[in-house]
Amino acid sequence: MHAVGKRRGAIILGLLPALIIYVIFAILPILQSFYYSVMEWDGFSEMTYVGLANFKEIFQDPLFWNSVKNNIFVVLASVFGQVPIALFIALLLNRKLKGLKIFRTIGFLPVVLSTVVISLTWSLIYNSEDGLINGVLRTVGLEGWAQNWLGDTNLAMISVCITVIWQFVGLYLIIFLAALQNIPEEVLEAAKIDGASEWTTTRKIIVPMIWDTVIVAVILCIAGSLKTFDLIYVMTNGGPSHSTEVMALYMFNETFSQLQYGYGSAVSVLIFFFSLILIYLVNKIFGKKMI
Amino acid sequence: METVVQSELKKTPQKTKKKRSVKRLLIYAVLTIFAVVNAYPILWMVINSFKSEKEFQVDQFGWPDTFVLDNYVNAWNTANFGVLFKNSIFVCLAATISTVLIGAIASYFLSRFTFKMNKVVYTFFIFGMLIPIHATLVPMFILIRNLGLLNTPITLIFPYIAFHLPITIFILTSFMKAFPKDIEESAVMDGCGIFRIFWSIILPMSRPALATVIILNFIYNWNEFSFALVLINDPALQTLPLGLASFAGQFTTNYGAQMAGLTMSLIPIVAFYLLLEKEIVKGMTAGAVKG
Repeated sequence: MHAVGKRRGAIILGLLPALIIYVIFAILPILQSFYYSVMEWDGFSEMTYVGLANFKEIFQDPLFWNSVKNNIFVVLASVFGQVPIALFIALLLNRKLKGLKIFRTIGFLPVVLSTVVISLTWSLIYNSEDGLINGVLRTVGLEGWAQNWLGDTNLAMISVCITVIWQFVGLYLIIFLAALQNIPEEVLEAAKIDGASEWTTTRKIIVPMIWDTVIVAVILCIAGSLKTFDLIYVMTNGGPSHSTEVMALYMFNETFSQLQYGYGSAVSVLIFFFSLILIYLVNKIFGKKMI
Repeated sequence: METVVQSELKKTPQKTKKKRSVKRLLIYAVLTIFAVVNAYPILWMVINSFKSEKEFQVDQFGWPDTFVLDNYVNAWNTANFGVLFKNSIFVCLAATISTVLIGAIASYFLSRFTFKMNKVVYTFFIFGMLIPIHATLVPMFILIRNLGLLNTPITLIFPYIAFHLPITIFILTSFMKAFPKDIEESAVMDGCGIFRIFWSIILPMSRPALATVIILNFIYNWNEFSFALVLINDPALQTLPLGLASFAGQFTTNYGAQMAGLTMSLIPIVAFYLLLEKEIVKGMTAGAVKG
């Protein structure tokens, strides 16, 4: 990095477009969230300042805590579903196999698809009458197992989480594969010469060597699943009877169906802090590696 | 004694060979199951989109007797797919080109020039990666409304640019920083201006990183749903994910048309993926690990 003459004008001119759009459409909204969160406002008439009343109300709303609980469920299902499956498949794929490329291509495909398309496809799969899952169950004679997968309060969350896991396994698979391919060949050869079995090599050498990547994946997975919105909005819209409602969805419904802009903003602020705490933890664990 | 040892020696390679091929078979079996689980939901939908309603109800697993295109005609007309495609392509291209162009200029100054606020501005941009999009939905709606931009063809472009500038700038600056220091010096000797250097030297040299950010932006913008949901309610301006969601909501029982609609919307992104797989995987992993 060096100065090609100190052309201040050029520098300002070059940075300005990015700064203007970024400040107006990303920074300003998040600051305004804070402002609206202490207001009572329906979005149209006068705002009134209510202090922390919105937050107090949120904390007393069992539906909010329900959404927090559901969100944690999604986080746990993602971490314990996506990461182990992805790691297992990546370890299997990390060898000289014929057709490896096909498995990788198919494995990553869901990651690039729109969440809306995935949600709608899986809604058809879960459909109680003509869905794929019930169809399979009927064909193999397990008619009694057929369920209303998204309509049952006990099953809806699990069904949604299966789709979430399905959508993102490929992402972590590719991250793990990249890490595995970075392990130097000599290390593995040395282990082989020492007579280590493949299982021992995997457990004692390969996995420890990519452990940092595994932890990064776990954090990404937590952060990603805290933001779950589109998928559940399209699949169940939080139902039946709030059994799949997560924080972002709770915020959305409170704001736009009930026209409580202040209250919704207060929930937004809480979501923001949840994310920040997470990022803080990430930086705590990894130093400055992540950001 | 000797013969025993010899026969052991003879046996072992055969045994391990057999063991190895069994293991290989097992690995293929697991990978095949993984691939089927990954691909079949989508294939199931694509195949059934060619069946008549009647045939689908009788047999949802086999190939269609005749490929019926009625569902496609039906979906295309009722969901206005022509309009949806046109809107998605416009928004996606406009936002992607703007983000990359604006981001590249900013990255150039941030990576190649020393000035007082350099680090502050850079960190300020990178901070954007921490802002959860859902926490800004309420103020974004109000902001866009106050700017009189609600329901216009360019509404979505601004939030898309703002929220994807951070990752774009992050990837481009780290790439541009790695260029040798004397590049500009010789150009300046030849009488090049700052913007000329950017356009004729830095930009062409950044081609690999540009490809990565263009692809990342394209996929994000093509699939984006939340902002579109809140900021667009005029059917004539809906993007593909938004149009699909409301289309499916209206035609809950017409499975054939739904599947046809989903299949149509899949084609562009799947083609894009298969064409640029290597780059996409590289980009997504970079985006995921660093974002």
